[in-house]
Amino acid sequence: MPTTAEFEQTIKSGELIESPREMTPEYLRELKHTLIVSGDTELISAPAYYLAAKRAPSINAFMTGIAIIQDELAHAHIAYHILEELGEDQEKLIFSRDPKSFRYPYAFDVPLDSWTELVVANGFYDQAGFCLLGDIHEHCSYGPWKRGLNKVMLEENFHLRNGRTWMKRISASGGAAKDELQRAVDWMFPLSVEWFGLPDSMKMHSTQLDYRLKGLTNDGLRQWWLSTVVPYCEQIGVKVPAHKETRDGKDVWELDYPFPCAFDAEEKRWDFKNPSTWDDVLKRWRARGPRNAEMVAMFQEEFHKFRKSHHTES
Amino acid sequence: MNDRFWGALAEVRDPEMPISLVDLGVIYGVEERDGVVEVELTFTAMGCPASEFIVDDVRERLMMEPGVREVVVKVVWDPPWTAARLTEAGRDALEEWGLAV
Repeated sequence: MPTTAEFEQTIKSGELIESPREMTPEYLRELKHTLIVSGDTELISAPAYYLAAKRAPSINAFMTGIAIIQDELAHAHIAYHILEELGEDQEKLIFSRDPKSFRYPYAFDVPLDSWTELVVANGFYDQAGFCLLGDIHEHCSYGPWKRGLNKVMLEENFHLRNGRTWMKRISASGGAAKDELQRAVDWMFPLSVEWFGLPDSMKMHSTQLDYRLKGLTNDGLRQWWLSTVVPYCEQIGVKVPAHKETRDGKDVWELDYPFPCAFDAEEKRWDFKNPSTWDDVLKRWRARGPRNAEMVAMFQEEFHKFRKSHHTES
Repeated sequence: MNDRFWGALAEVRDPEMPISLVDLGVIYGVEERDGVVEVELTFTAMGCPASEFIVDDVRERLMMEPGVREVVVKVVWDPPWTAARLTEAGRDALEEWGLAV
């Protein structure tokens, strides 16, 4: 194992870390944490997307939805597989953890109830995933993960395309379909903005950045997301509560509502007149949302049932 | 005469893999008559999740060619696609991406 000074030198030099032998315990802990968040996020998107993909309007659309779910499971597998190489038990991580201890964004605890909400998730949530993973792919100091993400980026592009194509199509059809799309965007846009976490002004220090596990700050990632989503929504005639400003010759994306603010998960409604504190948000996140237990149970229950019956028979 | 259409289709990328539809070997034929372009194409799998995107992209790109007023896409399954239909460039691109073909 390297000394702390040797390790810091390696990180500073831009070299990649290739095995646990080259890590300090602190780096290993932070890497595992980052991988768990990534794996959990990809994994939980599968049941969340599946519940909505069942409502696909055609066989073709259903096939695309299912293919996206398969991709997400594969992406989860990359993260859990690396965790296993780092000494964790993949089976325990997936099937024996308490639902509340999963580390995925709160957005997935709010159910997607229609095909329209699924395609907005592909347009917004997969864009968030694209920014987060794209950043890791470009900057991550852990070689096996960085390289494992090559294919992931292309697949996320495919998901985005499904989201964007359908959002455009639904918007162009107008009437009640477009109203439904706008309603989905209204609650899903702020949830996606929240996805990137505390603003930089409140996050004093990031070990993930020190270790080059990622390269962009929370606000940097949020700005990247806004710079892709806002112009696209405007282009297809969907309203979003954000606009572009030029500050010191640079484009900055500003939100048109207090950030953060109160969210009613059951009603899927934001109260822009009711600003909240980040303490409130963290409390809401920790309590998890309406579908957390149900979503985790979707893959855990059958696994344990199968295990039980399998053992009885043998 | 049809070269320009093949050239145009060589610019259309598969939605999932970093390779053009021509290099992938899924374009079987292109004919033009009085501004109507007919394309015969197949998919690498019958359950191809990107089939709608591929047809849309082919149509959109060919409509950009001067004099084209309509694009008719015919999906065919005979002969079936196999990896042998990949061009040399396509094979290299997929191998570089990490797919053994």
